[in-house]
Amino acid sequence: MQRINKNVVLALLSLTSLVFLLFQLYYYKFYLSQKNGAVFSKVRGSQSGQDSTRWHVIRKFLGLISSHNIPVYLIDPLILGLVDKDIEQIRSSPDGPSAECKYFCAQRDFTTFALLEKTWKHEVGLFRTAEKMGFQWLKIINKDPRLDGMDDLSGIEIPLHYIFKLASHAIHLVVFYERSGNYLWHGPLRLKQHMDRKFVPFRKLHFGRYPGAYEKPELVLVSIDDLKVQIPKNPSSFLEEMSHSRFLECRYREARAFFQLYPDDASLDAVEFRKKAKSLLHLAALTLNNLGVKFWLSSGTCLGWYRQCSVIPYSKDVDLGVFIRDYKADIIPAFQKAGLPLKHKFGKVEDSLELSFQGEDDVKLDIFFFYEEDDYIWNGGTQAKSGKKFKYLFPKFTLCWTEFVELKVHVPCETRQYVEANYGPDWKVPVKMWDWKSSPSNVQYNGVWPVDEWDDVIQIY
Amino acid sequence: MDEWKPNPAIKPHKKRSWYLAWKYKLMNQRALRKLCQTGAVLFLLVTVIVNIKLILDTRRAAYEEEEESAQDYDDEMLNVEVPRHPVSNKKVLDVEVYSSRSKVYVAVDGTTVLEDEAREQGRGIHVIVLNQATGHVMAKRVFDTYSPHEDEAMVLFLNMVARGRILIFTIKDEGSFHLKDTAKNVLKSLGSQVAPFLSWRDMWTFVGKKGGEVYGEKHAKSPALSTWGDPVLLKTEVHLTSVEDAECHWPDTELNRRRKRFCSKVEGYGSVCSCKDPTPIEFNPDPLKDNKVFDVPVAVIAGNRPNYLYRMLRSLLSAQGINPQMITVFIDGYYEEPMDVVELFGLSGIQHTPISIKNARVSQHYKASLTATFNLFPDAKFAVVLEEDLDISVDFFSFLSQSIHLLEEDESLYCISAWNDQGYEHTAEDPSLLYRVETMPGLGWVLRKSLYKDELEPKWPTPEKLWDWDMWMRMPEQRKGRECIIPDISRSYHFGIVGLNMNGYFHEAYFKKHKFNTVPNVQLKNVESLRKDAYETEIHRLLGEAEVLDHSKNPCEDSFVPDTEGRVYVMFIRMEQEADFTTWTQLAKCLHIWDLDVRGNHKGLWRLFRKKNHFLVVGVPASPYSSKKPSSVTPIYMEPPAKEEGAVAVPAVAAAEQT
Repeated sequence: MQRINKNVVLALLSLTSLVFLLFQLYYYKFYLSQKNGAVFSKVRGSQSGQDSTRWHVIRKFLGLISSHNIPVYLIDPLILGLVDKDIEQIRSSPDGPSAECKYFCAQRDFTTFALLEKTWKHEVGLFRTAEKMGFQWLKIINKDPRLDGMDDLSGIEIPLHYIFKLASHAIHLVVFYERSGNYLWHGPLRLKQHMDRKFVPFRKLHFGRYPGAYEKPELVLVSIDDLKVQIPKNPSSFLEEMSHSRFLECRYREARAFFQLYPDDASLDAVEFRKKAKSLLHLAALTLNNLGVKFWLSSGTCLGWYRQCSVIPYSKDVDLGVFIRDYKADIIPAFQKAGLPLKHKFGKVEDSLELSFQGEDDVKLDIFFFYEEDDYIWNGGTQAKSGKKFKYLFPKFTLCWTEFVELKVHVPCETRQYVEANYGPDWKVPVKMWDWKSSPSNVQYNGVWPVDEWDDVIQIY
Repeated sequence: MDEWKPNPAIKPHKKRSWYLAWKYKLMNQRALRKLCQTGAVLFLLVTVIVNIKLILDTRRAAYEEEEESAQDYDDEMLNVEVPRHPVSNKKVLDVEVYSSRSKVYVAVDGTTVLEDEAREQGRGIHVIVLNQATGHVMAKRVFDTYSPHEDEAMVLFLNMVARGRILIFTIKDEGSFHLKDTAKNVLKSLGSQVAPFLSWRDMWTFVGKKGGEVYGEKHAKSPALSTWGDPVLLKTEVHLTSVEDAECHWPDTELNRRRKRFCSKVEGYGSVCSCKDPTPIEFNPDPLKDNKVFDVPVAVIAGNRPNYLYRMLRSLLSAQGINPQMITVFIDGYYEEPMDVVELFGLSGIQHTPISIKNARVSQHYKASLTATFNLFPDAKFAVVLEEDLDISVDFFSFLSQSIHLLEEDESLYCISAWNDQGYEHTAEDPSLLYRVETMPGLGWVLRKSLYKDELEPKWPTPEKLWDWDMWMRMPEQRKGRECIIPDISRSYHFGIVGLNMNGYFHEAYFKKHKFNTVPNVQLKNVESLRKDAYETEIHRLLGEAEVLDHSKNPCEDSFVPDTEGRVYVMFIRMEQEADFTTWTQLAKCLHIWDLDVRGNHKGLWRLFRKKNHFLVVGVPASPYSSKKPSSVTPIYMEPPAKEEGAVAVPAVAAAEQT
């Protein structure tokens, strides 16, 4: 009898195991089938269209913000994209009640707003009210980049991002700071060790992967889905700007190390040259920006930014790069109008174009035009007396914003490769004797201009 | 898992149900039974493995998700500082106090909180205040009670310390010579048995709680006038109280939280930490109508004089039209207490690693502070520069608001300053009057951003140059003939008596009697006449109506100026060329105004008040206004004293005004 019992027990046990195993297999398969599935992001609700939770959260948030007199504006790219399509209608009827919830009800994890830091008094009261209203909030702080260039200042850390979460929806509030060069900057979103990594799906946030630079936007108050909210006056241009807003901070620490090794030239000449170069760069930036020509710091000026965060005092000129596709015939007259006469023009639009303008007191502005090939980018050089052509090759690059001599300008994002292509691996060592025909490590001999074209491709004034 | 079935090859022998057959076989066939059992065990094992795998996979997936969401978003600074060990919950502190001729030290729980064995320094009674709940040092002072009046300062300080705090006293060298009875009685009331009988070169240590028990006292009498008492070492234990008992019970507001944080850390700020009736830390002065300087950043340059900073910020925050958001306090060094003061008032503070030494350190601190100010407020066209040892007049911002447009529009201006170097009690009269002067007074001034960014910053003296920043700014290479606008009655008051170039005597002689405006909302007179050309017209008008004084009298005598009020008088002194200030210096000396270098001049003209009359001094023939001199008048010449003393003293203390 005992034996029977033992076997029965064993069988039963095995049976349950089987059932259990089958269940497990099923569950496992179910999980595998939706690897990115909802299992771990419980914040996500149903996938079906309308979600009034979001609308309610936004309404609450806007109420919270306005009760503390904090002006925020909507920068959520997805909503702005929708809004942009109906912009005329939205602008024309700022008060009209909307028939349906078109914008704020689409199922989403978060909505993004911007806050201008200088319009805010940093009251602690805001957060207490937020908590009372049921919001959970997270603050991301980091060091103040406006003091980064300063050798020895340690300021307080500044808030870069706030996230307010209520129920299944989060509000991402990006703090924009005004910086020297008349632009707005927002910081990267970096989590400190102790922070809750699952507070929101950080990876999906639209802002914060990189720091960004923006123009000061013009705002307009509109009513969207019965909520009054400020948005950039021209959403499409804001979205355009956003798509390439990545900002690179100058490498101040490396620059300091550089100056430890090679003390800065503090002579009056150097001070004077830097001043002139700065004003020339400001003038050039103004002129090119007015024309809508995108440009970046190139050659020596770029090296100066990358290596020492300042103008190299013995460089004697200011170098800019422009993609040939952005070339405009108006460039020359515009510079002349700005008081910078053309000094020489080498090459032609189809090949090796290079313009030089005469700034104040021998400081020259060189604009090199860059030609894109499939796997590299190049610009050309011409030796006036022999008609020889040179080609300088660069690996492909994209453009980032940075701040240089109180100016928001572009530099190649892949600056190191760019500088290394131009100046070789020893770019960290200052070289005062520089021959543009032989010194660069990326120079290639590129033939000779046909003599009958010389009048056109070698113009010296 | 399919294998786990009864072996199909083996068929039941009898017509029994499958179960029975199976059971039978299980019972009868040992081999088969074994097989089944093994199978079952195997099966269980597999289940377990699958389970574990599932759990692992699930966790990995979840982890990846988390990684994914946070990747790129991790702060590179992984070496985030490890949270500090919580203050040990020990209830008892071991305190060691040492007193001797050449060395004092105090150790709390083995940590030295005071050690002074420097020669020729730190004489007197050292006082340390500990928080009775945490044991943290809240204040450290030394009162040189060998010298007069220091005992009064000590009494003042001890009275400010909150009840319940732990006080530690120790004497270095000598501390009794000018320790008067009042002070001795205060020490006695703290529980000291020895204090009333402290005498010449005695050594003494004492630990007690204010208004409570005594933890220990040791004393060594000096055997003779020429020798010191033996060193004494006091070892004692102090019982800590609970945090609640050590704190006041203010209503829970944001302001009081700041107050609480401050008061639990530092001592010696008087009623701000009083439990019953604490002094406010928010001031809300009246806003200014049409305030043109509301958006101008205010840089407060500070060192390690937290009590000064406290006084300064109070007056600044009480000034009408102040915008606390625009204030940044720049602290030269990693000092905690000044930062505590800044946080008490809810302002932002920035610390600066000291570079270089002495004057150059101050100079580098100024540069960093100014650069940072313009970085933090990139929109600003100006910055107000203040120092931690200034009182700020209630109408400081009103004064600036009314005059700042001049700095913007008039290229010939270098700065606007709140300070009149020659504005003493007896030489300044009119709060609505402004001057143009060729010197830069500093002490509360406005700097134009373009001047700083384009001219000063690029060539600011480097750290190895031991220059005073203000002297450098006054040099002709920098000033380039530009002038500053100043008020007749200063809008700032320099109260600091300890500082780099400052001492009590110097302060008494040159700063104490400085006039300081206390009238709110002063409407400035005729501001437009301060523009370059208009000012010349104004001066000519003034000189035109001025009565020429009797040049035969001694200008130092009071009777030189008639006993009138509201008149304009002019006198002429000898001034051979632009840089000849011989007579002026002598005149300044006898008038008891600033005479250490030349200040407050405009093209060889000085303007001040005597006996409530406007008093003009013109240097002849260097000044372009010499033409106003009647031919009958001989300019007064005053000889410098024969001794070379004056000439030597000037360069040495010329910089002394800045601290």
